[in-house]
Amino acid sequence: MYDRARHLYLKLLLAATFVLIAAGGLVTSTGSGLSVPDWPLSYGQYFPPMVGGIRYEHTHRVIAGTVGLLTLVYTLWSLVVERRVWMRRLALLAFASVVAQAILGGLTVLYLLPLPVSVTHACLGQSFFALLALLALFSSREWTQTRPAHSDDLGSLGRLFAITTGFVFAQLVLGAYVRHSGGSGVVPHIVVGLLVALHALLLLLRSGKSPSVSAAFQGPCLVIGALVLGQVFLGFGAFAYKYLMPAQQAARPAEVLLATAHQTNGALILAVLAYQTARCLRLCSPR
Amino acid sequence: MNRRAFLLALSFLITTAVTPVFAATLTGKVLFEGQAPEADLITADADPNCALLHPDGITPDDVIVNDNGTLKNVFVYVKEGLEDQTFEAPKTPVQFDQHGCMYTPKVFGIMVGQTLEITNSDDTLHNVHSLAEVNKAFNLGMPLKGMKIKKTFDKPEVMIKIKCDVHPWMGAYCGVLTHPFHSVTGDDGSFTIADLPAGTYTLEAWHEKYGTQTQEVTVADGDASELTFQFKG
Repeated sequence: MYDRARHLYLKLLLAATFVLIAAGGLVTSTGSGLSVPDWPLSYGQYFPPMVGGIRYEHTHRVIAGTVGLLTLVYTLWSLVVERRVWMRRLALLAFASVVAQAILGGLTVLYLLPLPVSVTHACLGQSFFALLALLALFSSREWTQTRPAHSDDLGSLGRLFAITTGFVFAQLVLGAYVRHSGGSGVVPHIVVGLLVALHALLLLLRSGKSPSVSAAFQGPCLVIGALVLGQVFLGFGAFAYKYLMPAQQAARPAEVLLATAHQTNGALILAVLAYQTARCLRLCSPR
Repeated sequence: MNRRAFLLALSFLITTAVTPVFAATLTGKVLFEGQAPEADLITADADPNCALLHPDGITPDDVIVNDNGTLKNVFVYVKEGLEDQTFEAPKTPVQFDQHGCMYTPKVFGIMVGQTLEITNSDDTLHNVHSLAEVNKAFNLGMPLKGMKIKKTFDKPEVMIKIKCDVHPWMGAYCGVLTHPFHSVTGDDGSFTIADLPAGTYTLEAWHEKYGTQTQEVTVADGDASELTFQFKG
């Protein structure tokens, strides 16, 4: 049954999480991850002086706390009103993810950014965002009210969506490793990035194959294509500042913006692909 | 005082007074060839306290070429040749200050076990984050003016970067050694390493941007040798 209020609430949570991911990206891009040496308080306070890197780190913590509370409300709400057992479980998974993210965030501060923890923190944040996108789909009018129109043409498209999503996730893991290791592993990241771009093109070509497929997926595949194309340019810009231009003592504003936009757009691509993969697999599943 | 005590005191005085005279002294300069890199002024607007101190911005200090064509902040030290000798760490701490939203000194040496006394002389928050890889890294919040913290390093490590994550332009480097034979070039690009025992040594000059260079030198007691290093821009 379609619950408009909860669906809209999920969209709000999704938007807040997108802002959180961008804020987290800014923390890394500005090198502010350890500007607040203690956790969960900041210099022993709830509201430290917002100067320098503390502005980014503490703002990230405040937004994270807000997203945590919003997720808790959503989870409790779902446990009370959601009839589908699997959706209640997904809601619990969302809450568990945000708690795990908070713990990982604390560990990065207390143990001075250990690489595995930092990479996991980055990837889990982006995965949580994709999970919220799926929850939004599963609570949408399309999913809850319309009967899926089965189409055999969608079978291969569904597989292509799934493979592309897998490549994007691998790319996000590699990207997190590049960012948190000080630049190691950039070549594999570029190679997988090219694979992602190729699969985005294949999706676009496949989505125009038949009328039934076009109607449902050509628009989303155009969006995915545009996001991936933008990602390539953002990635090139971030690469140029990091590897081709002389290093400076403080990151240039353009350098910060490019790296942060590249990271945030990556999360958006994963969420959109996860969403469309689930849509497509539902439509091509046997009746 | 009896005769025996007098002779002992005299022997002690002679030993301590005479030993430095027969040790060697290394002096030299670190030259810079080429064009100093142009770097944009760094805005300090992120912290109003720092912006007040630097209204026109902060000149990057990763490369400072002196007027006489020498390079400042080069860490020169004995890298090899002292392995079979031990030296006691001085009781006097090395002073490291956060002043004017900059670290002072920018490059310094310290012995294993010697105290590093870190002070915040600024009326703003700083954190002191050591990126040690051999020693234990630390990240210390120093929110108050006048606050002091003491740290020591257990193992030799050349160089440890120290940074402030609140103010990203703040960076310093610390060379941790098992001996006291090190120097840092100043405004005239010169270095002096005094009281070096006779022997053959490898000297290394380290710069944060231009890397390292080494030279071998053999000194005898009482020698005053001169070396020159040259880095290319």
